[in-house]
Amino acid sequence: MEHQHGHDQQHDHDHPHAEITHDLRPGYYEIMETAVRELLIEKRMIGADEIRRQIEVLDSRTPALGARVIARAWVDPDFKARLLADGRKACEQEFGISFYDDTGLIVLENTDRVHNLIVCTLCSCYPRPILGLPPDWYKLKPYRSRAISEPRAVLAEFGTVLPDDVEVRVSDSTAMVRYLVLPLRPEGTENYSEEQLAALVTRDTMIGVVPATKAGAIQ
Amino acid sequence: MTESADLVKRLPNDIGGLTAGPISKVDHELLPWEKRCHALADVLDFHKIINTEEKRRGVESLGTEMINALSYYERWIVAFANILFQKGLFTPEQLANKIAEIESRPTIA
Repeated sequence: MEHQHGHDQQHDHDHPHAEITHDLRPGYYEIMETAVRELLIEKRMIGADEIRRQIEVLDSRTPALGARVIARAWVDPDFKARLLADGRKACEQEFGISFYDDTGLIVLENTDRVHNLIVCTLCSCYPRPILGLPPDWYKLKPYRSRAISEPRAVLAEFGTVLPDDVEVRVSDSTAMVRYLVLPLRPEGTENYSEEQLAALVTRDTMIGVVPATKAGAIQ
Repeated sequence: MTESADLVKRLPNDIGGLTAGPISKVDHELLPWEKRCHALADVLDFHKIINTEEKRRGVESLGTEMINALSYYERWIVAFANILFQKGLFTPEQLANKIAEIESRPTIA
């Protein structure tokens, strides 16, 4: 098994694997994936090109999509109201973002008094149609275990220290209900265009582990 | 409380609120087969063959030892195979034969 790697007791994470080279034979699990896929296609339970098409869909989803939605909510109060009322409908109808699954989307607005954080304690549920796939740390035990019991300590590990009078709300995702944080618009951005605002909205601001800042602009 | 009682009270995925170490802000680009595995999960969901909750439960039913030993997408593909066996959509023998056939190919795509 060429992809073999050391496993210890604490092993509960996706670590970077060795770089792939062309002479490397696929490992046990990669062969299993090929076998399962080919059997399903041979039995006509799935179409031969459906996997490739879905990979293209996955590749098309990045936090930049979510950033556009957030920036619009910052500049358009009516859109923000629709987004908070029904996140999925607002994204589908006004941004043409297809939800390729049956999940609902609840958008959680940060204010001066409330800071939201999202997690999936049971597994790795995440607003994938809007943000793409979650980072590994979101899927790992430390974040999943601690986000609901000591969110302020978790936030501090991301460099986010909130005043005591700001309430921290943690929302635990499910197979059917996903969350997205609407961060506070940074001060001093009154003259920013929607595009400039979108550049301030990173993946981590929409998970809620960091605030959006002017300094955090994506180049 | 005995250690075994803890296993009964908390299934492997039920880790919310447990103590754990610091958050290591790791991430990695998915390997091609991992991305195919993810796409396969979505396609199985579209066809109502395996939905998200069945997938999660399928991973959990691998048990603590296997969950700890396998990486994220390794757990997924093993869970998919088990669920497909349980649903009678193919047999373990069919999968074993297919794996042997793939391993015998001179070059593997």
